[in-house]
Amino acid sequence: MNLRFTFFFMVMLCGTLMLSAQKTVPNDTFDIKNHTMQFPRPHKLWGFKISAGLSMVQPPKDLLENSYQAPLVNIHMIFGLPWNLSLESNVTTLVVSNQLTLGPRFTYLYKNFGVKAGWDFAFIYGQLRQAGFDNSLAGWASYPNLSVGYKLRKMSFTLKGELMIVTRSTSKTGENEIYRPTNFFNGGTLAFYIEQRIHKNKVFVIGIKDNYEKFYWPTWMIFTTFNRYYHVPELSFAWIL
Amino acid sequence: MKIKTLYLAGILLFLFGCNKDALVPIPSAGPSSSFITETNPLGKPSKEIMEGVYQVTSGSDKFGEYMVVKWNPDGILLTCKNGLHFIMKAGHLDSVVFVQGYWRDGYSDATGLCNMYISKSEGGASIVSGAGTTNILIRGAYGDNNNLPDQQLTLQYLRPISDKIKNANFYILGHRAGGRNSDRLPVSENSLAMVKFTQQLGTTGVEVDPRISSDGVAFIYHDADINIRLTQKGPLAGDVSAYTWLQLSTFVRLIHGEKIPSVEELLTYVVDSTELRFVYLDMKSAEAVPVVIPIQQKAIQRAKEKGRDLLIVMGIPNTDVLNALLAYPDYQNVPTLCELSIDDFKQANSVVWAPRWTLGTQNDLVQQVHDLNAKNLAVCWTIDSPGWIRDFLNQGHFDGLLTNYPYVVAYYHYIQE
Repeated sequence: MNLRFTFFFMVMLCGTLMLSAQKTVPNDTFDIKNHTMQFPRPHKLWGFKISAGLSMVQPPKDLLENSYQAPLVNIHMIFGLPWNLSLESNVTTLVVSNQLTLGPRFTYLYKNFGVKAGWDFAFIYGQLRQAGFDNSLAGWASYPNLSVGYKLRKMSFTLKGELMIVTRSTSKTGENEIYRPTNFFNGGTLAFYIEQRIHKNKVFVIGIKDNYEKFYWPTWMIFTTFNRYYHVPELSFAWIL
Repeated sequence: MKIKTLYLAGILLFLFGCNKDALVPIPSAGPSSSFITETNPLGKPSKEIMEGVYQVTSGSDKFGEYMVVKWNPDGILLTCKNGLHFIMKAGHLDSVVFVQGYWRDGYSDATGLCNMYISKSEGGASIVSGAGTTNILIRGAYGDNNNLPDQQLTLQYLRPISDKIKNANFYILGHRAGGRNSDRLPVSENSLAMVKFTQQLGTTGVEVDPRISSDGVAFIYHDADINIRLTQKGPLAGDVSAYTWLQLSTFVRLIHGEKIPSVEELLTYVVDSTELRFVYLDMKSAEAVPVVIPIQQKAIQRAKEKGRDLLIVMGIPNTDVLNALLAYPDYQNVPTLCELSIDDFKQANSVVWAPRWTLGTQNDLVQQVHDLNAKNLAVCWTIDSPGWIRDFLNQGHFDGLLTNYPYVVAYYHYIQE
């Protein structure tokens, strides 16, 4: 419950800031379409954009029971390419669980609406060598994804859907190897992001994501045997640098 | 204003929405559909004839090529290599044997009904007479969920369970009295109901989690706090050991409605009402050690008086419990199970060594344990993946495996030649 109330407090705080930030300042030419990372829009050719954030996750009790939980740290990068293309990368880490994704995007912007389609390739790596454990994981996954968004002048809304295909995954405990099935459809995620100008040209991102998956990669170390889909809610905050 | 309202409503829905875990009910086609209670029970010789390894001649695409059939005190278990298993009852009318129950997949939520029979000419007459046959054909059908069985399933008897395996002193230990709540069984983990139920899954022993109440009563409960993973919503919350036994037994109900059992209630139940051969008291607090030992000794005495072949061991999961044990007078005579090093095992004069499965089969250390005393045992915890269960049984020398999937261990154990 404490985690829920922490969520609640932070969401209320950030939400209040965002909503109050809608007040118009005279002679302000700010347009959020030049500053977003989730909202689909073409990026400046060879331009580079980066955000840093935290995600709080509530894994199902079937998986983690009473184990310690920590936020995921996320670095999101976008590199602008010609023809409305871009290259996106995410580095997500929990120290013992890490994921690096890299993939192309194609974006189309029409008035205040934007659409973005892409395909990410991910490398997942984890190791746990504390408290008598000697476990590690290495795996590859694919994430085809599609985002649609709508923008106001200082605020944007983006809905992002993503599928996950685990192409290969191997866990080790000491010298023992544990293989998971390869090339399996692991589920998908649905996320909703709000990007909001907070101060000058600085934009804050808040997101709610539902991971509906069999294998939720940050929890690899529990070696779950369940063959069922679980909802794993995730609340994220990021600051576009 | 509209945006604000929608925003707040969405956040509140996310934060306070119901996230109750799904339950997997036992499938039923209705009360009038069960005829097994109208059949006559089979005797011990008949049961022994039925037990064995069967080839799946219809239905192998779902259940695999082979199935192991094994009786338990409450019925008959049919188990496959992939976690699918049948929890069945059997009886006979004249010379026809009827087998009825349900199947479930231990790794997912799949389940369904199953009706089968052995006709008079296909082994039924021999089974009922107890005379023996090697030509048993079990015919029937299975369905999905509560639907009537409509998919063909046929099992052809191949061979009996080998004498080597029958006579082996091997333990199939059910975790948390037989299964976790996350396994979505119809009874709660660490309850008396689970101790009864788990025998139907093929267990021959159980692991349970003793703690101590604020007034010094030892009870069985896994987590340190009262939470909705383990209990129904009630007036108590927080540290479970901060409450008296009266408060816990009055106000706390486990997730399926059972009371929290005391250690004494559980051990008495195991001795008096089950055929289990092993109880592993996985101590959750060092303070509970001097409280549990007299209860353990009393239960061992009770089992002896009843002629039960039952090993009740106190687990030593950490050095706090080890030190509490070593501080107990005459600790050398307390049967213990040590999860720590071989040196700690020797120091505690333990009778069972129990390493974590992720450390591998460790055959050299298991041999050391056996060499120290021929009666010493080695079991490993908590192994769940079918592939690893198979490999540990084929390549390891353990005397038992602790698992959340006892029917998978049962399959790979009983199918060995």
